[in-house]
Parts: sequence; C-alpha cells; structure tokens
Amino acid sequence: MTEVLSARSLTVRYGGNTAVHDVDLGIGAGRMVAVAGANGAGKSTLVNALAGWSRGYPVVSGDVLLDGQNISRLPPHQRSRGGLQHVPEGKNVFSELTVEENLALVRLGEDHVGRFLFSRSEVIDLFPRLHERRHHKGSALSGGERQMLAMARALLAGPRILLLDEPSVGLAPRLIGEVLAVVRSLVDRGLPVLVVDQNVRAVLEFADELYLLERGRIVGHGSAASMKNDDRILKAYLGDLAVKGDLQ
Amino acid sequence: MNVAQQAINGLVIGSGYACVALGWTILLGAARLVNFAHGQMYMLAAFICWFILTRSGIGYPLAAAISIVAMALLGVGMQLMMGRLVMTQNLTSLMIVTLGFGYILQGVAGLLFGGAPHTITTELVQQKIQFGDVWFTSQELLIFVVTLILYGVVWLVLQRTRQGAIIRSVAEDPKLAQLFGIDSRSVYIAIFVLEAVLVALAAVLVAPRTPILTSMGFEEVIITFVIVVLGGIGNVGGALIVGMLLGLFTSFFGALVTPAYTTAAIFAVLLAFLIAKPEGLRTR
Repeated sequence: MTEVLSARSLTVRYGGNTAVHDVDLGIGAGRMVAVAGANGAGKSTLVNALAGWSRGYPVVSGDVLLDGQNISRLPPHQRSRGGLQHVPEGKNVFSELTVEENLALVRLGEDHVGRFLFSRSEVIDLFPRLHERRHHKGSALSGGERQMLAMARALLAGPRILLLDEPSVGLAPRLIGEVLAVVRSLVDRGLPVLVVDQNVRAVLEFADELYLLERGRIVGHGSAASMKNDDRILKAYLGDLAVKGDLQ
Repeated sequence: MNVAQQAINGLVIGSGYACVALGWTILLGAARLVNFAHGQMYMLAAFICWFILTRSGIGYPLAAAISIVAMALLGVGMQLMMGRLVMTQNLTSLMIVTLGFGYILQGVAGLLFGGAPHTITTELVQQKIQFGDVWFTSQELLIFVVTLILYGVVWLVLQRTRQGAIIRSVAEDPKLAQLFGIDSRSVYIAIFVLEAVLVALAAVLVAPRTPILTSMGFEEVIITFVIVVLGGIGNVGGALIVGMLLGLFTSFFGALVTPAYTTAAIFAVLLAFLIAKPEGLRTR
C-alpha cells in the first residue's frame, strides 16, 4: 500500500533525554492509524515531530516523508501548507479571534494534487455548531467546540493527511463518539488520519491500525482487530473485563 | 490665557505623542513585543533626515523617505538578531536587549553627529495658518492629519483584514500560527519593520518642531509607554485618545502651573489612572 506519510528512524531528544527512539511508521491512503501509549510514552512528541512542530526546542533526527517527498528539513508552516495538517493537544485555536477569523486565517496551497478539498459548506455540515458560533471568540467556546474548530481549520486547508493529538481530551463521553465518527467519515472518503488518544477503547472502535508506544519506542503494531486482543493493550487500556473476554 | 490656543497647542502636542506612539502600540498592543530602543530610533531617524537635508541639498520629502527606508532596514536587522527571543515572547530579555540596543544607537549617533543641537528646517514649519487669535503651522496640521489617518488605517488593517488577523494570531501564539501555515518569523519581521517605519515617519514629521539632540529619546519612550498602557494594551483607538488627552494635559498644565514638572505630572496621572482602572481604556 502507498504510504502518504511515513517516518524512518525518527528520534527526538530534549537536552540529554530521548523522548522518541528510532521510530518507523507509515500511514496509508484511506487509513485511520492510532498511536496508543501510557502518559509520557512519547505519543505527542512523535506526532509533533512528524509535523516539525514543538513548543520547545527538540533535536530531531531521521526522515519524514509526505507523498514520497522528504520534508524533514521543512519548518512547520511549510509542512502545513504542503498538506500535513496537525491538530495539537491543548490550545489549538486562537482564543482572541472569532470562529470566523480563525477559519479565515487558512489559505489553500496552490498545489491541489493529492489533497482532500473541503468547501466551507461541507465543513459547516460536519460541524454545524461552528456556524451558530461564528461570531464568538475562541475563548468563549466549549472544549468540544474548540476541537471542532481546530479540525475544521485543518480540513479547510486541504489536507493530504490529518494528525490529531488527543481529540477526545476534555470532551463529554457522548461527544467523544461523535468526534471520532466524524473522523471515521473523513477516512472513509479517503483522507488518511493519524490519531493519538488516551481513550484507546474508543479509538479502537474506529481505527484500522494501531501502533503501541512505550518509553518512546514502537513495541507493537497491527490491525485494530488484532491489537484488541494484544495482552498489553488488554491489560493497560481495556481493563479486567476485556481480559475476561468482554470485548471479544 | 488663550484657551483656544492652548487647546490647539494641546492637540498638536498630543498628535505628536500619538504619532510617535503608534509603532509601539502595534508592537506591544498587537504583537505583545517591547522595544525600548524606540526613542533612540526616533532620534536616529530625525538625525538621518537632518544629515541628508544639510549635506546633500535634496528636499525634505526625499530626505524623509530615505530616513524611513534606513529605519526599516534597521528594523529587519533588529528582528534577525532577536528572532529566538521574539518567537518565545521573552519580554524580560527583549526589554534588556532593546534597552542596550538603544544605548548603542545613542552612542553611535553621538559619535557620528556630535552633541550639539540641530534643527530640521522645512518650509511647512515656517508657514503659519491663522484663525483670529489662534494659529498653528502647516507642519503641525500635517502631523495632526497624518496621525489621524495612520491610526484609522492601522485600526482597519488590524481589525478588518486577514493580514490584521494574522498579526493578532501571531501575537497570541506564534507557535500555533505555524500550524495554520503562517510563517510567524516573517510576520514578526514585518511588524518590526512597520514599527521602525512608523517611528521614522513620526520623527521626520514631529522633529522639525523642536531642536534635535543625540541625547534625546528617553522621554519619547516614557511618553509612548504611558500612552500605550493608559490606552489599554491592544487598543489602537485608546492610544490615540490618550495621546491627545496627554497633549492637552501638557499644554494646560504648562500654561496654568509650570512646564518644568509636566513629565512628573503625567506620571502622577498615570499612577492615579492605573490604580482606578488597571486595564486602561480597553473595554473589550
């Protein structure tokens, strides 16, 4: 399968600490790939490194390829313009700008080949709440609305791939399923998505593949169906009931 | 006391204050950055204009334009030097670095232009406009009109255009802006260039009203700081209003009490105002 985004020997260091060790991974067209791991396993560091983005100053080595092009040396804004759309954990919209202004910041790149183009009305259909709140500032939005706005921004930019870091954090349980269902609908249209989320149970319901990350290293990879039965996943994320066969 | 004349004087002084403060208003208010070399940049722009006028014989508009371009290049240089501090919005370090940069500019200007006072002579300063017993010069009218236009344009750009939204987004979070495809570093360079251009424009407009000295600059920074803080950081309209009010205060305080303690009186007003209304004139 053709990989839209891949990492080869990706390593991320902060000072003397190595947060991500020699990671290889790939996300194919029309696939929803999840990365699971405990707190501090390096999930966010990994996805940030793919986007070339960080709030600190890490040292990153290895290669990141987008549609076969090595983008390792590109700064984050150029990766974004090239179609690698990253929605980070935490603050991911501008709180002092209105919903309308947040969305108006986005400009589609000139090269449309290989991109998934979404019109404004398509995005509003996916997240109708944003239309109602279009004149409200980011600071006035709920956690769920901010997450929707961040995803809407990424879609309007014409993504080749979407990276989502903890999209379910802070959301009501009902909203988690809704957000992931929207993500799945995008994947079903062909858009590849890499999702990092603590809520492994929910993510496994929607993802095609899962990578398991421990202390910055990939220690497991397989289809979502097979990884549901992986002992490490069962014990660490799906609880005792699952071990007893609740999920199988 | 001729109240109307004092009011005109106050508006003239105030538009000068507001004009000098505009660059800082954008820098601190819109981009959350500081530049304590602002006053020395004002001084340097005035001296470059004076030097070209007296040595080359070319006219005031062209000399002013050359001075503005020179300061724009200085703005690029400053931003390139301070890029990392700016990206992390490290205001304490920026304050120290720009203070130091201001002193370097002052030292270099002292070496190049000496310590004696000079005057930028323009025809507009000589042209008096009289209405009854009230008068002002064409240069003062130019300062007033240009200041109003500049504030209007800056407000419109910041609040009503995509470019303004980009500046505000980078000010709020330069790292996040990168994920929107925005080159935050280039935006910061543009903001510094804009600040430098605006301070140079203010210098070539305002400086012809009084003798210029290489030691000047500190008072301009202080007055600018007061205007930006009282106006409410991020409030372009507030800065214009406070600039004008400070000008009126300076004029009437000088006429009714004494010009000698005007700066001290301005700070007394600043203290009283900030105790009563810590957020300044900002209402949003």
